[in-house]
Amino acid sequence: MALLKIAEPGQSPLPHQQKRAVGIDLGTTNSLVASTRGGRTEVLLDAQGEFMLPSVVSYADAAGPVVGAEAREAASEHPADTLVSVKRFMGRGRLDSTEEAERSHYRLADNSEGMVRFVTASGEISPVEASAAILSVLEARARETLGGDIEGAVITVPAYFDEAQRQATKDAARLAGLPVLRLLNEPTAAAVAYGLDSREEGVVAVYDLGGGTFDISILRLHRGVFEVLATGGDTALGGDDFDAAIVRWAQELGELGQLQGGQYRALLALARAAKEALSSAESTTLDLARVVPGAAPLSLDREQFELLIQSLVKRTLRACRRCLRDAGVDEVDNVVLVGGSTRVPLVREAVAESFARQPLADIDPDKVVAIGAAIQADILIGNRPDGDLLLLDVIPLSLGLETMGGLAEKIIPRNTTIPVTRAQEFTTFKDGQTALALHIVQGERELVSDLRSLARFELRGIPPMVAGAARIVVTFQVDADGLLQVYAREETTGVESSVTVKPSFGLSEDEVTDMLQASYSYAESDKLARQLAEQKVEAQQLLEGLHAALAADGSALLSERECQALHEKMSALAELLAGEDLPAIRASADSLGRASEAFAARRMDRSIREALSGVSLETLDKRMDKEPGQ
Amino acid sequence: MSSPDFKQNYFELFGLSPAFAIDSEQLAVNYRQLQRDLHPDRYASAAAHERRLAIQYSAFVNEANTTLKSPLKRAEYLLQLAGMSREEISAQKVDGGFLIEQMELREKLESLPGLVDPEPVLEHLVDEISGDIRNHQAEFATAYSADDLPAAASACVKMQYLEKLLQEAEQAESELLD
Repeated sequence: MALLKIAEPGQSPLPHQQKRAVGIDLGTTNSLVASTRGGRTEVLLDAQGEFMLPSVVSYADAAGPVVGAEAREAASEHPADTLVSVKRFMGRGRLDSTEEAERSHYRLADNSEGMVRFVTASGEISPVEASAAILSVLEARARETLGGDIEGAVITVPAYFDEAQRQATKDAARLAGLPVLRLLNEPTAAAVAYGLDSREEGVVAVYDLGGGTFDISILRLHRGVFEVLATGGDTALGGDDFDAAIVRWAQELGELGQLQGGQYRALLALARAAKEALSSAESTTLDLARVVPGAAPLSLDREQFELLIQSLVKRTLRACRRCLRDAGVDEVDNVVLVGGSTRVPLVREAVAESFARQPLADIDPDKVVAIGAAIQADILIGNRPDGDLLLLDVIPLSLGLETMGGLAEKIIPRNTTIPVTRAQEFTTFKDGQTALALHIVQGERELVSDLRSLARFELRGIPPMVAGAARIVVTFQVDADGLLQVYAREETTGVESSVTVKPSFGLSEDEVTDMLQASYSYAESDKLARQLAEQKVEAQQLLEGLHAALAADGSALLSERECQALHEKMSALAELLAGEDLPAIRASADSLGRASEAFAARRMDRSIREALSGVSLETLDKRMDKEPGQ
Repeated sequence: MSSPDFKQNYFELFGLSPAFAIDSEQLAVNYRQLQRDLHPDRYASAAAHERRLAIQYSAFVNEANTTLKSPLKRAEYLLQLAGMSREEISAQKVDGGFLIEQMELREKLESLPGLVDPEPVLEHLVDEISGDIRNHQAEFATAYSADDLPAAASACVKMQYLEKLLQEAEQAESELLD
């Protein structure tokens, strides 16, 4: 006879209540949202039954941004106020963006510092705000479909995104009010979508050619563990460049002369349509009269189109070869195609030839990333207690520090598995030097001037010593999202300084707060109430976690006195939670958190020992798996 | 920043005996098992301090895996376990013949920008360097198992030179061709 289960007072009697989690593919050209319901992961549709939301935001109307197909239609009429491919500007400074902006006929604000801003009819808009507008539309779609607020989102980014671009993406989610569970690399998401369904094993290459970016990743799949071996790509290469190649060809051949902003957009639209048509047809016609009245139509066949894009496709293949070498593998078991641009027949043929494999494309290449992200979101939020999935990702670009003479010292090389912590020792170069300026950079080149500047901070208060006597340890820590924290500590005195890297081309904390306030017009008291609520949730989480941990391991891993001490602090915090004293709750939770750290560490140490005693079993059945073939 | 005290050396962590030739299959299996338990994603809804701890543990396991997986890093680590500092390793002398070979390889690398079609030459160069690296790995393994630390360190330094050259060749590839 089954025993009846009775929940402890205060605990949820419904342990498997599903939380609302989504995966979002925030793309250069289109964005999608997907979710898992009733065991099936699907992309969510809008009221018109469409799953793709064009990543276009129009600020032509001061009443507020218009997002999607409607905004795209307005593009040729209001080119400067309609932001397309805004993802290309995320985390970028003004100087990096001028060429791109000119091509798109945007007006840039002249802030020389911080992230680029567009001047529109609705005022200055940052790429983060435009991305937040896109996310808000997807969030609203998900809320309607799933019947309630979204409790967690996994948002995908190109594997090749740098620190500034990742941080900008996270800021956009914050602005849109979406709780981010994780930033996930797009190729990894695609591998999850394929790997989990088919229980795939072996080495997989994910070839992801989107509208604006190209990513290649090599992963090893093993029983639900997705280990990224290497990743590479090009942040400025995608299907948009195919369109641009057609535009240049048409401009020249059709003798169209200098084009105005709206005309350029119209020609671009023709080029895109021609490219899409050539995925199935052998030839197509560009009706140039729609760009310049009276211009003769131009015919484009597939052969000519392939000539135009050949060098671009070759560039992607070279990146693939480098990535294979970085991964240390000679061949792959499978190739997965992601991104709308992989519909181009030449791309498919070239990939198949290069990897000597027919690529997989069973899942719609437009949907596969969002679906993988939704699966990961479902697991991270705790909807699949038995969901045996683990993603081990890498950093795409090396992280380092500027040293003497404008050279960079790499602290963490690219393709290092995250999370990662690395320390390096530095010293002072002048007698009596009391401060050290740290300049954090990202990229592969040797000269700092060729690298992306991430952040600067200073370690002050070093006691005067002779040059070379101070021992300054700089520690870089990258978390599972690929975001960096840097600590510096002078070892002889213990002077410390740290920075959560807010990229030079990011938004400052104040800017984000201002934007949040502008969008919700928070009163000061609302802000406090919100902070209190957040702090209480976190404290509650801490208490619940500790209760469970103590019940499981308290007697085995703690002395009676240690146990007693923790219980006292827990009761103190529980009592404070009944009240409204934010600083006291915060202090008490901090103190409990610190006091319980040793216990948590002992539990993890034990995990290490147990993990390995369990491993011998896995090794054993691994051998058994192999037996028949040997 | 407080960090957990990790007393185990990397070989012990993965249950391997300290040697240059390792069972890479066992390393991979044990690595995945440890990350299954310690990765911060496993603590996505845990309290902040526990997540921080998970990052540190997981980072330690990653560092150990990265070190043992790479033949060069594994060689350096074995020498360090045997009591040699990084400085002592890099102060190790290498023979003149090796240095001349290095200069020749480097000259080939530097001549690439002047070639009409550098791609096949570069590919051949990369193959040559990779082959040399494998030879010196074998040299290290023999010296290390015979407890000849100076010879092992010398092989290790050669591996360092060649790895650096390989990186430069790859850098040249992306600069020349893209």
